[in-house]
This record gives sequence, C-alpha cells and structure tokens, in this order.
Amino acid sequence: MIGLHRALVLIGVLAVALVGVAVVLAVESEHIEDPAFPTAIFSVLLLSWTGVGLYAWWRRPGNRVGMLMTAAGMATFLTAFQLANSSLLFTFGLVAGGGLFFAIGAHMLLVFPTGRAETPLERRLIPLTYLFALGIPLAIAMTSPDLQLEDGMEHPENAFLVVHDQSVGDVVETVGGLLGVALVAVVAYVLVRRALRAGARERRAMSPVLWLGAVMLVLLCVSFMFDVPGDGADDLEEGIDLAALLCFAALPYAFLTGLARTRSWRAGAIGEMLEALGQAPGRGGLRDVLRDALGDPSLRLAYWLPDRRTYVDAEGRPMPLPDDDGDRVACEVTIDGRCIGAMVLNRRLAEEDPELVRAVGAAAALAHERERLDAELRARVEEVERSRRALVDVGLAERRRLERDLHDGAQQRLVALSLQLGMVEAKLDREPGKARELLAGARTEARAALDDLRELARGIHPAVLTDRGLAAALESLADRAPLPVEVEAVPGERLPGAVEAAAYFVVAESLTNVAKYAEASHAEVRVGRRNGVALIEVRDDGVGGADPSRGTGLRGLADRLAALDGRLEVESRPGEGTVVRAEVPCGEDGA
Amino acid sequence: MPTVLIVDDHPSFRATARLLLEGDGYVVVGEAATGTAALSQAEQLRPDVVLLDVNLPDIDGFTVAERLTREGAAPVVVLCSSRDAADFGDRIERSGARGFVAKADLSGDAVRELVS
Repeated sequence: MIGLHRALVLIGVLAVALVGVAVVLAVESEHIEDPAFPTAIFSVLLLSWTGVGLYAWWRRPGNRVGMLMTAAGMATFLTAFQLANSSLLFTFGLVAGGGLFFAIGAHMLLVFPTGRAETPLERRLIPLTYLFALGIPLAIAMTSPDLQLEDGMEHPENAFLVVHDQSVGDVVETVGGLLGVALVAVVAYVLVRRALRAGARERRAMSPVLWLGAVMLVLLCVSFMFDVPGDGADDLEEGIDLAALLCFAALPYAFLTGLARTRSWRAGAIGEMLEALGQAPGRGGLRDVLRDALGDPSLRLAYWLPDRRTYVDAEGRPMPLPDDDGDRVACEVTIDGRCIGAMVLNRRLAEEDPELVRAVGAAAALAHERERLDAELRARVEEVERSRRALVDVGLAERRRLERDLHDGAQQRLVALSLQLGMVEAKLDREPGKARELLAGARTEARAALDDLRELARGIHPAVLTDRGLAAALESLADRAPLPVEVEAVPGERLPGAVEAAAYFVVAESLTNVAKYAEASHAEVRVGRRNGVALIEVRDDGVGGADPSRGTGLRGLADRLAALDGRLEVESRPGEGTVVRAEVPCGEDGA
Repeated sequence: MPTVLIVDDHPSFRATARLLLEGDGYVVVGEAATGTAALSQAEQLRPDVVLLDVNLPDIDGFTVAERLTREGAAPVVVLCSSRDAADFGDRIERSGARGFVAKADLSGDAVRELVS
C-alpha cells in the first residue's frame, strides 16, 4: 500500500505542475486576450477531478472509479494545448483535449459505482466511446479547412488538415455529429437506467453522480458539436458551454456527497445490524443478519478452532475455506489480533467495498466469537461421541481377540494336558515307563499353557507397569523386542494410570509393527512431559511407508488416546523410517 | 482296525489325539490342519472316521462335514471342539456328522460309541 500511496502523491504533484504549465501556456498565448478566466476554470476542473479521483483511488484501490476519475482530470490538461501558439500543439489540444476527457469521463460513469461494467451493452459501449470521442474530432480536423475556436478569432492553423475541401469536411462533420449524438444518447440512457435500478439505499448515494453525469455528457456533446465545426458563437452556445462546465465542475463534488452518504448509510447499516443481532438468537442468526447487512445471500460463516488448527461450520463440521482464485473469498475476523473465524462471501463484494466488509465483520466479531464457542463445543461433543462409539468398538474387538487368544492358546494346551493326563492314568499300572514319558510331555504342555496365559495377561494390563512404573515397563518391552531398542528419557515420576497405560500400549503396538513390517535395524523410544502433556515417540530406521489408517492396531490406539483428549500422529515417508508420536494431557507438571 | 483322519489346526492337539487313538485301537492314516486339506485327504485316504475340529482357519467344520457326508461311501464324521456342544445348537445334527465329542473327553471309547 505504501507504493500506491507514494504513486498517488506523485500524481497529485504532477497535476499541480500541469496547472503551472497551463498558466504559462495561457500567459504566452497569442490568440487568447484575457487568459485569467479560462485558466482559472481550467485549474479548478483539473484539480478537483484529479483531487477527488485520487482520494477515491486511495480509499478503494480495488475499485477503478477513482483511477478513471483521476485520469479524466489529468486528461483535461490536454485542452490547455488549445492555448499554445504552435499549430501542431493547438490542433492536438483541440482534437484530443475534449475527446479524451469525454471518453474517460463516460467510461468512469459507465462503471460507477462498482468499477466494473455490469452488462454486455456497457462493456461494448466503453471501447466505442473512446473510438468515437477521439476518432470523430480527428476526422473532422483532417477534413475541415475552416476549423476554428470561435468566429473571427485569430489562432494557429489546423495542422492536421489533409483534405482541403470544405464540402467533404461538412459531410464528415454531419455524420460524425450524428454518430456522436447517438453514442451519447445510449450512454445517457444506460446511466439513467442504472440510477433507476439501484436499490433504495444505494440510489441515494449513486444518483447525484449518475444524473449529473448524464446531463454533463449530453451538454458536452452538444457543445463539442457546436465548437468543432466552428459555426460561430451565439448566446445559446455560450449558455450550453457554461452549463456543461458547471456540471463538469460539480461532478466530483456530487461524487464526494455520494461517498459521504454511503458512509452514513454504512453507519446506519451497521447500527441496524447490531440491533438485529440482539434479536437474532439461535444457530444461523448471525449469518442471516450478516447476509442482510452485506446484501450477500450466499454468505457463510466459518469458525476457527485453534486446538485443531482448522475452520468448522456452525455444526462443528470441518469447513475448508475457498481458494484464492474462485468467485468466493474468505475475510478473516479477528478480536485483539486473534483469529476467531471468517466470513466467506462473494469476491466482488469484498473487492468493491472492503471497508464495509471489514466494518461489518468487526462490529459482529463478538457475536461471531459467541457462535464460535458454540461451534467449538459442538465439534468437541461430536468428537467425544465419535471416540466413545469407537472405544466401545475397540473394547468389543479386544474382547473378541482375548477370547480367540484364550481359545487358540491356553485352552488348547490345557485340553492336550488333560488328554495326556488321562493317558498317564490309563497306563500308570501296566506301562509305567510309557506313563513317565507321557508325564514329561504333559509337563511341557502345562509350562507352555502358563507362558501363554502370562503373555495374555500382559496384553490386558502389564503387571510391571502397575508395580514398577512406565520406565520399567518400557524397558521390559524393549528387552523382549526382536531388534535393539533404546529407551531414552522416561519421566521418573508416576503419571496418571490411564496415561501410563496409553503410553505403554502406544510403544508396544509400535514396536510390534516395527518388528513385523519396518525391516528396521534399530528403534528408539522417548517419553517426555511438557506443559501438562505427555509426549511419546517411537522412531525406527526402517523402510517407512506405513499407513496408519490401514492397521486396526494404530486406529484403536488413536481412539483410546482421543478418549483421553490426546492424539496420535504417524510420520512415515517411504525410505525414511517411521515416527509414531502420541500426545496425552497428563495434568500439571510435577503433580 | 478302523482308520482315522484327524483334522485340527493345533498341532499339539493333533499329536495328542493321534497318541490317544492309536493307543485305543485306531489307525491314524493322516492329519490335516485346514478344511480344504481335510476334503482332499479324505478323498485320497478314504478313512473310516474323520475326527473334525469345528473351528478351522479356512472353511468351518460344519461345512466340511456336510461336504464329506454328501456322497454314498462317506466316512463317519465326528465333530470335536474345546467349546461345549450346547454352543453350537442343532448345527451339529444338521451338518451330517454322526456326533460330537468335547476335546477334553476324547478317547477311543468315546469315538467308538458314536461310530457303532
């Protein structure tokens, strides 16, 4: 913005310098006897159009109206060349001065107030305006030997003359004049139509500019038609000239009035909005009020959840914001510099009136924050419900697994043991040698059954964790792993039981996965505690490429952690090993 | 002596059952760990009795029993499990098996009782 600001200041300085140049031209002019009046009027026009244009440009850089008004103001400078003594400059001033201003002025009015042509007719009119406004005077200048400023006035010759036949000139003048009148009529019609179509609130702000613009264009054209052919001056012509000049001079002020009205309308709109906010409880209340206030029925609200670093809708469901290049745009809403959400609205609205959007967003920020808390709560409840359901599923799956493990493991061994003991019993008297052999087998079976049961019990809840804490439990996991595992920095103090268990199973499951899939040569386990959160990390140097959504083990762990308000993250790029990270809130440090 | 095919996915049970049945006057002609292997071995070995575990890793024991008993010269199928017979309701009967023996109660006499 500093770049734009500086450029605008430079344009302002240039405008003042141009006035100086015009004064010099007027004083030096050999064909203007009393330069004071035209110079004064010229200066007022150039400075007021340029000044107001620069102001509008600065306030709304995205809207072209300010730039066009500035350009029209600067273009009036070309008329100062009509004062020049050089015939080339003089003719150039005569042809381009009025024409360029006319074209830029009409362009500005055609795109007022949005800065954009709204209909195909308007879009087609803009280039036609430039073509006619510059082409017709040029054609006339090239064909009219009698081209002059005022009747009988001495001035430099027509430097653009090509066809020295006034009868050709007369035809060109007539055709050009008719074309010019037709064009101006269409432009004026478009402006009037737009003034009539504007909404009640906007009409108050827009209509002075549009009406005055329509009248000015008509007068300018009439005056232009009289001037260029050089029919001679009369009272009517002077009157029209003066009226056009007055409209011309008044237009920037009408524009300023419109701006002021817009501002007071805006204040009114925000006031109305705040009043409506008080009466709009319930979900969707704020959204509807903002839709009314900004006139965008498609507006949606997003709420920022800092914990999850994501936007959600009023229901607490994730809501991605639109891309930068679409027709929707997200305007962030902040309180004390902290993002609380965003309004997703029509891009044009945001570009045309960013001030209004900002003001409305800021005025509604507290209500937005209130709804954000609602949405956050809803998102949390949804997460809790989801993880509760998932926990029930995890519980069921674990029980099924336990049943299967018991059935396939210890139960089968005990069946075999029982059968073997039966055989021992049958053979004890007749074949004591065989019975002894069978007894040895039975004892092996009993030992294996015990091992199975121990393993199973450890899977339910490891006794070492209860008795000796997390560090010892993790060491024992590391000892039993089929690859070297280094356990680092486990907090010495006891953590809450649920947290220790979660940490233990994260490490157990991760090490099982490392052994099964990672083809790693080495793994590291780290447990830390920071700001009331236990951080568990298992890192291996294996093949990577693990997909956490595929294995039921890690998913079950993620649900367990979610129930404790924690989360699980798996980082596993192919070829770069795997890191499993878990975070679980565990109360204040040192507690 | 009657011939037996033992079908169970637990090797320790197969080994014990073989010992037990051989001690009780049966000839164990083969062992299978899956339903598919059971079907092909029964076809090949033509045993008199198939001792068939209900829980197999591929096809469940009831389905295997149905397929085995479909033909005329079918073996006698005796289902067994470490679960209780009551867990299976009338599925044992409907499968075409001759009867059910709890694994812990397995003996040559228990099988003989069902077969005769």
